[in-house]
Amino acid sequence: MTAGNEELELKDRLSLIETMIAEGRRTTESYGWTFVLWGVAYYVAIFWAALGHDYLAWPITMTVAGVLTAVIIARKRSKNPATRTSRAIGSIWYAMGISMFVLLFSLGFSERAEPHTFIAIMAAMLATANAASSMILRWKLQFTCALVWWALCVYACFGKSNQLTIDNPLTIAFLAALFFCQILFGIYGMILEARRCRMAANHA
Amino acid sequence: MPELPELNPVIHGKLRLALLSLLVGVDEAEFTWLRSKTGSTDGNLGAQLLKLEEAGYVAVDKQFVQRKPQTIYRMTDAGRIALTEYVQALKQLLGGAMGR
Repeated sequence: MTAGNEELELKDRLSLIETMIAEGRRTTESYGWTFVLWGVAYYVAIFWAALGHDYLAWPITMTVAGVLTAVIIARKRSKNPATRTSRAIGSIWYAMGISMFVLLFSLGFSERAEPHTFIAIMAAMLATANAASSMILRWKLQFTCALVWWALCVYACFGKSNQLTIDNPLTIAFLAALFFCQILFGIYGMILEARRCRMAANHA
Repeated sequence: MPELPELNPVIHGKLRLALLSLLVGVDEAEFTWLRSKTGSTDGNLGAQLLKLEEAGYVAVDKQFVQRKPQTIYRMTDAGRIALTEYVQALKQLLGGAMGR
């Protein structure tokens, strides 16, 4: 083999390493649907609770949404290997979900779930998870969602009402935040993910 | 003049190098995912993965998911070190080749 051929082969190996590392990290995972699912679940819980069944609405809706999320993620996970980034982001959301479940259920059963505190806690937790994910992904749009949740958290700390009725300004603010930061953001995420999958398929 | 390094022959094979480079970016990967990424045949892929396993560069785990068998591969610490050393040697050789 000539020196020129040898050099070409070595460069070819280096380029192969770079291509394969990029290929391994190129993820086709999709999580936009989780935002939409949970956004819809919160809407169902709020409207169901407004009908006067709040002791059933939140526990049932949240449990069903949690089980659905776990089942769909387990099915999708078998097709794609986890990258370190996806594991890091997943850990944040799992930990937040468990904290929210434990805290809000305990508050509910101990009858200390005053609506303003309830929403302030939920907003603060959602802000934390969104902010941490956006910092890992360097995604400004998701950080904007975190800012919206923090603003709602501050707003929820003021005022006092015993019922989260639909005409309550806090309920309206909560529904608006859910619409923009869960449903719209989730749909936008799904569009981006679909585009990325198409690009990956074309690349293959 | 410093002596040029030898390239690790286990890693130097194109498919084996591709497999290690894929595995370095993920926690673990299933056989079918590796096959789709490398475009290799089952037989060739299995043979090359066996060589990497014998060298201690990948660890294999066989399991059943929804009654379907799955073979999961992950890179070992030895594999990670070997790949790093291979890349360093490659860069050194290329540096030498450029200097000729």
